[in-house]
Amino acid sequence: MTVPTTAPTTPAGEASPEPRLRGPVRLLRELLPYVLALLLAFLVSGIVIAALGYDPIEAFRTILSTSFRTGFGFTETLTKWVPLVLLALGFTIPLAVGRFNIGGEGQLLVGATAAAGVGIVYADLPTVVLLPLTLVVGILAGAVWAGIAALLMGRFGVNEILSTVLLNFVSFQVLDYAATKVWSDPAAGVAATRSVGEGARLATIGGPPGVHAGILLAVLVSLATIVVTRRTAAGFELRASGLNPRAAAINGIRVGRIAVVALIIGGALGGLAGALEVSGVHGRAIEGMQSNFLLLGIIVGLIARGSALWVPVVAFGIAILEVGASSMQRTVGVPAEMVLIIEALILIFLLLSDVIAGRLARRVRT
Amino acid sequence: MSEFESLAQLTVVAMVPYLLASLGTMLGGLTGVFSVAQEGVMVLGASVGFLVSYGVGSNTVGILAAAAVGAVFGLLLGAATTYLRLDQFVVGLALFFAATGLAGLLFRVVIGQSATQPLVPTLPRLEVPFLSDIPLVGPALFDQNALVYLTALVTVGLYFLLYRTRAGLDLRAVGENPKAADSLGIKVVGSRLWTATAGGALMAVAGAYLPMVYTGTFTEGIVGGRGWLAIALTFFGGWRPQYIAAGALFFATMDVIALRAEVGNIDVPSQLLLVLPYVATLLVMIFAFRWARVPEFLGRNYDRESRTA
Repeated sequence: MTVPTTAPTTPAGEASPEPRLRGPVRLLRELLPYVLALLLAFLVSGIVIAALGYDPIEAFRTILSTSFRTGFGFTETLTKWVPLVLLALGFTIPLAVGRFNIGGEGQLLVGATAAAGVGIVYADLPTVVLLPLTLVVGILAGAVWAGIAALLMGRFGVNEILSTVLLNFVSFQVLDYAATKVWSDPAAGVAATRSVGEGARLATIGGPPGVHAGILLAVLVSLATIVVTRRTAAGFELRASGLNPRAAAINGIRVGRIAVVALIIGGALGGLAGALEVSGVHGRAIEGMQSNFLLLGIIVGLIARGSALWVPVVAFGIAILEVGASSMQRTVGVPAEMVLIIEALILIFLLLSDVIAGRLARRVRT
Repeated sequence: MSEFESLAQLTVVAMVPYLLASLGTMLGGLTGVFSVAQEGVMVLGASVGFLVSYGVGSNTVGILAAAAVGAVFGLLLGAATTYLRLDQFVVGLALFFAATGLAGLLFRVVIGQSATQPLVPTLPRLEVPFLSDIPLVGPALFDQNALVYLTALVTVGLYFLLYRTRAGLDLRAVGENPKAADSLGIKVVGSRLWTATAGGALMAVAGAYLPMVYTGTFTEGIVGGRGWLAIALTFFGGWRPQYIAAGALFFATMDVIALRAEVGNIDVPSQLLLVLPYVATLLVMIFAFRWARVPEFLGRNYDRESRTA
């Protein structure tokens, strides 16, 4: 018995059929809620920042400009974008079938641990062999981790929100075991595994400082998701199962099976994110490397309303905010947690603007 | 005190946060409002409860403040899902983020970077004379802090309200079939609002319990997944107070075993013991989701004007 999940539970769920709009007007209608939500979120958080005794203008200027002032800030933003976009897609793909994958954190950590393990054990292999092996093992580990939850969901009807979350807490200990007992590096200063072999490291593009080549994979995955969900039969079945499970089932789509597969794919993307963090960023698996990517990935997915097209864009915006947050804490003194509140407010105001838009549309029609 | 008696006492202490948070989840859920913000509301409750009792110097005021903040978050969830009919999971997640951010922000703003760890006194144990001398269970049941007694009262009180009164029957009807309840004149929106609000307050108190009983201070990981476990516990307990209490005992026992085994130099990797509560929960859920029945309208919004549903 699962919690009844209605339709694709995206914020736009209630959007009513709108009169046909074309070109710029349509784009404006689509963008307006975003603009309003952004403005309101910044307005409210500006008041909070002022109430705390800081200068809101200065704080926002730092948040928004850090990514673009220096090459370093920009590469940091791009580097953050990679796990964000992957975890967000790992959240939205199951969401299309009405399933909530709250386990991105665990999938990332298990993927990272597995990737680091391969990179350490086979450190002497050449790049051509080791690098693909590392990434594939990371992906598989993430898929298996989500697969546990998918199995429990498909076979026993265990709610996937709970199983994916609980597996996060198990994954902390998996990494801890690897980082303190199996491949521990006492010299690291924090709980971390040893460095992976050179062959497991990704090349850097551009720079200095440059972005790791994993960003190309993330772009590829984003494009593939857009094409698959919008232009293939599998994508159609995925969306149909979410929009109306009963109608889909009657038409011969195996809804339960699709939900399981979607969850496993979501996990694979989490695992890939973990492997890329190891191969591209840290060169090892470190405790706490998941940062708050899980929360951010979900926020990105929800703000993008589950749309594969919007996820990369929103993820970039959130990456800007996140990179700006730490810089704001250093220079202006506003605690970095403020940014999480801004992001939550954007989401909440976006939800509200949907309601208002829906009511307006209804009034216009009747 | 014997070894068993002290372990039993610890187990009862560990039951409280699970039980309170789960009862809060249950209360909202019985009218159909399903919260997934527990983890965030608990962290916020821990932060606010700690900060207020640190500032005012009274744990009671701290707990009340936490309850008030939790109630606000519960009310927000209730209002957003009744008046606005927004998706319950999405709103719940948004509130989870907001509460988590707010908890960290408040702590950072009030305490800042201090060299010494700020501490509040933990709740004292109140011993019931004579009864606490009962062998085996005496200390566990009658030599505890005030919140343990309060939690017991809440559990029993909720049981009577929900299963022994007309008002409780009405409430449960809202979660089973709001349309039918509405046609009988039961206030659907009203009951959804107040149960969600009271539920939020219970979750926040569950969070405030942690610094006030265990650590004396607030840390970011203080809740450590108990909020999510509380959701699992609510399903496990079939959305009924008496079974939820029994389930909380199970969760608390896992906690105490993991803790005790870690201290007790057993030749097992500590990580294996620490995953015990989570793995046990996963296994238990396989059975829980088979036998437990959930309120029919759990997680679904009610639209009076809709013809379906």
